[in-house]
Amino acid sequence: MTTSEDTLTGLGRNAGAAVLVLSSLAGGDKHGYALVKDVEQFASVHIPPGTLYQLLARLESRGLITSLEADERRRPYRLTAQGASVLADYLTAQQRIVKTGQARLKQSWRLA
Amino acid sequence: MSNSVDNKRRATRLLRWYPSAWHKRYGDEFVDHLEQEFAERPVDHKRTLNIAWRGLVARVCDFGLSNTDQNVDTGSRAAVGTSFTLVAIASVLTLNFWSLAVGRWSSRRFHPVPDTIATGILTVTAGLLFLVLVAIIVAVVVSVVRQVRRRRARRLVGPSMLAAGSGAFILYAARWLPMELAQHTHSPHGRPGIQWSHPGSAIAALAQSTWDLTQTWVTLWTQRMRGVPSSQIIVNDLLPIAILVLGIAIAVLLRRVEFPLISERIGSAIVALLGVLLGAFLITFFVWFKVGGPSGSNVFSIDGPGATKTYLVFLALIAVLIVRSGVNLTRRWRLVGRWDTSDSRGHVA
Repeated sequence: MTTSEDTLTGLGRNAGAAVLVLSSLAGGDKHGYALVKDVEQFASVHIPPGTLYQLLARLESRGLITSLEADERRRPYRLTAQGASVLADYLTAQQRIVKTGQARLKQSWRLA
Repeated sequence: MSNSVDNKRRATRLLRWYPSAWHKRYGDEFVDHLEQEFAERPVDHKRTLNIAWRGLVARVCDFGLSNTDQNVDTGSRAAVGTSFTLVAIASVLTLNFWSLAVGRWSSRRFHPVPDTIATGILTVTAGLLFLVLVAIIVAVVVSVVRQVRRRRARRLVGPSMLAAGSGAFILYAARWLPMELAQHTHSPHGRPGIQWSHPGSAIAALAQSTWDLTQTWVTLWTQRMRGVPSSQIIVNDLLPIAILVLGIAIAVLLRRVEFPLISERIGSAIVALLGVLLGAFLITFFVWFKVGGPSGSNVFSIDGPGATKTYLVFLALIAVLIVRSGVNLTRRWRLVGRWDTSDSRGHVA
């Protein structure tokens, strides 16, 4: 059985950035620069090029994304079914944490 | 126009931080990406540092001793190659330590219990380590010969020549070993030499010869030994370089020769085995050294006990690197196996 923990924890400190990349690709195929711009737009996070390509290589070798035929020099990437499954599992787990945290903040601190 | 040429040149320059396999796969898109970033933000030192750092990480991965970004086949070959190089260097020390331990045991045969267990483990692990190295060399040589027959050996010529040259040099440096072994096996004055029905004495004789051979090799560029001709000293001093060259040449060949698929799959097992053997040897030697081994100045009569500790730390580092690499590879293979299984279900949450 594969869990999101197995694959994303293996990415170490880059797991957060990996979720951003997977989330971006969930919206459609993108090449490196378009991916960075998309992440900047929805998460206000800039992924530097060195980190991005290391991540793309790792995600691809884990079968979470796949590269498509290059369009001149730009090569688009696509989320695989496995990648979508891993992302969905991860986001569900995060949602649970967010809901619990918000409920407790509301209950004890009248916040959120 | 000149700006775009400049940007391309800058991007190509930054690409040099990465290994050549990475260039082939990501080079074009990476340069394209950087050109767009340069157009938007011409100067960004953080970006330059990020590329340099990730490039160095990619280079370490390229050696197969870290969490690799390559596909598992290439990763296996790189890890086996680098492990081979490291273990080849370590093997001289390992054999030297083994011969020291067995030699000591041999002279203290009336206190057999702790030493016998220790020397037994040391003998088995050192022997297996040596056998795995020889098996890798044989597998590479057979594959190279096959490829030469098929006339697909253009990329193998350089490393093959280096391997053959350094291998010949190592054999030349050890040229007197068969003679010395023969002295042990055929004792003069009509007495029988080694009693092969008593493997202990055979191992002790082999250890004596190994000690004579390797002790001159582990005293790297330190004190000169009395009575050793200068030509032999030069050979001894050049020997570590020859072993390194042989290791690198075999590592390159391991990456370039065509192996059957099954050998790719057992790559991680080989790396893990080398690491475990070296680790087991070190732990046993350390225990023997502290509990039943020689004391103080008797150890390593030429280099002194300090050298032993340095060598032990060096070997431990190699063992940790190799074990880590083997574990990473095994994890990757397991992961790929899982993907293969779950892909067939095509399940998406």
